[in-house]
Amino acid sequence: MSAETLPKLQPLVPQPYAANDKQRGMTVVHTQSPRPRGIEELCEKFVAVCESAVHPLEIAGALEFDGWNDRAVRKRYGVSDVFALAEEMYRRVPRRPAEPAPQPDAWQISKWRPALHGLLYGLPTVCFTAAAGLLAGPGALTTMIVALLSSWALSQALAYLGYMRLGQGLPVQAQRVLLVGLGAGMAGVLVAMDVMSLLVPVYDQEFIFGVGLGAYMLGATVLLVLGSERLLYVALAPGVLGSSAFLLLGRPSHLEHATWAVLAATPLLALGLAVVRTSRGAGLRRRFKPAGAKPAKLLSAADVRAALPSAGFGLVAGGLLVFPVAVGTPGHGGVNAGALLASLPLALSMGAAEWMLVWFRRRTQRLLRATYQLTAFARRARMLLAAALLQYLIVTVLLTVVIVVIATASRLIHPEWTALPQVAAYMALGCSMFVSLLLQSFASRIFPLVICAAALALEILTRDLWVLGQIMVSTELLIVLTGYAALVLGSAERHAC
Amino acid sequence: MKIAMITEGTYPHQFGGVSVWCDQIIRGMPDYDFKLVSLLGTGAEQAVWDLPENVSSLIPIALWGAPPTGPRMGRRNDFPTRLIRRLIDSLLDSPGETQSRFGEVLHQLFDYAQRGNLSACLSSKKAVRLLSEAWQDRRQDAEQPLPTVNDAVTAMQLIEHCLRPLSHPPVQADVVHVATNGLGVLPALTAKWQRGTPIIVSEHGIYLREQYLHSPKLPYRWPVKALYLGFLRQLCALGYHEAETIVPCNVYNRRWEERLGADPSRIRTVYNGVDPANFPIADHEPEAPTISWAGRIDPIKDLETLLSSFAIVHQGMPEARLRLFGSAPKGREAYLERCKELVAELGIGAAVTFEGHIDKVREAYNAGSIVALSSVSEGFPYSLIEAMTCGRTCVATDVGGVTEAVGDTGLVVPPGNAALMAEACLTLLRDDELRHRYAAAARARALEYFTIDGAISRFDEIYSFVAAGHPLPIAPPEPEPDDQLDTTLVFGADNLLPPEPDADDQPDATLVFTTGDLLRFGVSG
Repeated sequence: MSAETLPKLQPLVPQPYAANDKQRGMTVVHTQSPRPRGIEELCEKFVAVCESAVHPLEIAGALEFDGWNDRAVRKRYGVSDVFALAEEMYRRVPRRPAEPAPQPDAWQISKWRPALHGLLYGLPTVCFTAAAGLLAGPGALTTMIVALLSSWALSQALAYLGYMRLGQGLPVQAQRVLLVGLGAGMAGVLVAMDVMSLLVPVYDQEFIFGVGLGAYMLGATVLLVLGSERLLYVALAPGVLGSSAFLLLGRPSHLEHATWAVLAATPLLALGLAVVRTSRGAGLRRRFKPAGAKPAKLLSAADVRAALPSAGFGLVAGGLLVFPVAVGTPGHGGVNAGALLASLPLALSMGAAEWMLVWFRRRTQRLLRATYQLTAFARRARMLLAAALLQYLIVTVLLTVVIVVIATASRLIHPEWTALPQVAAYMALGCSMFVSLLLQSFASRIFPLVICAAALALEILTRDLWVLGQIMVSTELLIVLTGYAALVLGSAERHAC
Repeated sequence: MKIAMITEGTYPHQFGGVSVWCDQIIRGMPDYDFKLVSLLGTGAEQAVWDLPENVSSLIPIALWGAPPTGPRMGRRNDFPTRLIRRLIDSLLDSPGETQSRFGEVLHQLFDYAQRGNLSACLSSKKAVRLLSEAWQDRRQDAEQPLPTVNDAVTAMQLIEHCLRPLSHPPVQADVVHVATNGLGVLPALTAKWQRGTPIIVSEHGIYLREQYLHSPKLPYRWPVKALYLGFLRQLCALGYHEAETIVPCNVYNRRWEERLGADPSRIRTVYNGVDPANFPIADHEPEAPTISWAGRIDPIKDLETLLSSFAIVHQGMPEARLRLFGSAPKGREAYLERCKELVAELGIGAAVTFEGHIDKVREAYNAGSIVALSSVSEGFPYSLIEAMTCGRTCVATDVGGVTEAVGDTGLVVPPGNAALMAEACLTLLRDDELRHRYAAAARARALEYFTIDGAISRFDEIYSFVAAGHPLPIAPPEPEPDDQLDTTLVFGADNLLPPEPDADDQPDATLVFTTGDLLRFGVSG
């Protein structure tokens, strides 16, 4: 590296013009700040350099940079050369380095973002509720599950790839990856739906609803990765407003077609806006690409492999959330109302999970800078983990209570105490999802995937125990994940950004 | 013969003097087969130079991307605790005691990296703990800031990134030529350790000096900074120690090299050169007396001093013009803005033009009656020797190898001194006869000493001797760096010092030389 490649190299001392540029009207422009006569004065001038120097050579570099050379210092200070002068200055001035300027907070986000995100995750539930009444066919539940799981898995992988490119400082590449991934994801959802329709009887409207669900999930993922929450609200508006009106009016049959229309508008909008948002920037840059630059490969095999754990986790997490709904309740069969009720606050609480994740990371970053012993760091980081988990739980409980009160008051549901165990199981699952999210943000992706997959398998095996099995499994999942997180996140090197 | 050329963040991924130099060397020696080993940031960087045909491979080594996937550690208890502890000790113990140990430790780390995952090892919990404990053990000086947990983590990460070249397979070549000292030495050392490949270390700016100058901008606390710069200092010293030949681009660099323990008998200065065919003599001077400047708009070029000095020139010679050729690289746009603001403040807007990027840089030199260089740090600046080849005399600041380049064919002033620079410019602009004589002498000097053919033949010779394992022929005595001042500066040594503060009241105090002086020390003298 040469002088010319050094970033942000600045003269260490103020340049002469700085003090004198106002005096330009004079015949003689004062040339340079007065030179110190004694070494003592020189030390004063270079005090910041000397106090933070790690070696006399660092001072020698600064002296030369200021225009001193061997001849000049020999004449002025009677030392043999710049190096000898620097050594003398290093001896005279004790080390008292200034603390570096505080680094920008990498985990700063707007206060409203988590709430807005939570709402974005929760709002589609309204559409589901409206649509559930419209989809009366035998394949409705299967369609929903297949569409949800396939699009969830694909959108998690897509988000991973998009964030990866953004993290590498390649925003245009990120847009291209997201655009291509959107197309590939839609193809994936269609294949999954086609395979399903070969195996079970599905009505056309159910098939279309499933494809719409997938389109919305993928489009929303693209918009969220690119930070276009507002566009996602625009996409959600027709579906949510229409569905709410439909539900509040008591599902009048003459409005069914209109509701279908607004429900279709949301995925179409999400998809369209995502395409516009990704192709705009990508197209512009392509036109202004410098001649001769080779287009970089969109994705390597290694990139795709790296996205697999995310896809897997999306699939497993979706499975864990959907399973209790699908398995129904003893004696009732069909859709489990308690589970459906509990899944809404859980969706909303993912906003709180994001907030707590940021809170945890900021607090541990501060802790890293304020702790001098590794053991003390480990202890306090674990306490922060417990605090984050507890805060997440409190928010989720509050959200659940509020939603139950609102839904009961508006006569949408008639809660029964028997649904409580189901809600408790969901709370534990929510906490597990939060801890998984936290671990993933610390680049620990395999462990949560394997453990959640094992939990799903266990839930399927113990499905005869109904809610008891779910409570058991989600509690165990939470304990294992939290224990692992306590182990991993107590290590300081994990927190390096 | 196969030469491995090692670059760090320059050729072929960046523009700039070092890259120009690399490209010249490689193109100038078509009979040699070059392998380029390029230390990069993430590894996603794109090459911006078209590689010459005799480059057989480009091997990127990413320092900051995903860590190298070395072989996994065999057993769990394979962690080389003693080795990591020795590395940490060699970095923390007082300088002087550790230099010989440092080379040994690096060699052992290389051996380990070829069979285990060194990156995983250095960024592990255990390594962080070892550093943290080592710091605790050495905490005697209460004045120094206490290292935090974050410091330990950050420091180990920095070392891990710096040592990544040890995990790559060594390059196979007859000679390894490191374009700049510093991290580029690591891949060279691996080749030397594995196959005994001899090393040549070139130097443009002094790597370590530039790291020190950059250090106030580092975002690290003092303990981390001390460890990191200590690592680089020992690495640079090791680079000089392990090199068969050290090839600085100016005599001035020798001071630092010898200070860091380089054996003077192994140092051979090879000046940068230009191709005279690309810089034919400029026939006509511009009509208005014009000062031309060419380069990247960058703080290191200290354009503020140039602009301030031009304000003085403009006072004495209202018809004078200043034309600045070159653009601001990415990230330096603010500096360009600052310079433009200064032009407005100084009221010289009508006489100063920012010409922007120019394809044929020789036109920039042709555009000036004289060429100015106001940099605060330089190795051996191409803009000077290019301007000289075009037959232009220069006013330049006394930094790096500038006095060696200009010799007695131009005027050299202390850096950061606008008044002296202005006086030098005025003298040359006013005296046509003197300017023309200097210009002719500048071209003659450049053609004699600073041609690309000259540089190439020196390297050709060095390569053959080093590859054959022969010691280089006894070097002709090089002038002591400091002695250059006597022979090349047109003013007396006293005048190198800025005026005494109490002399400020006398308007003439800044005029440090007379025409008589110039003639006495001039071309013929």
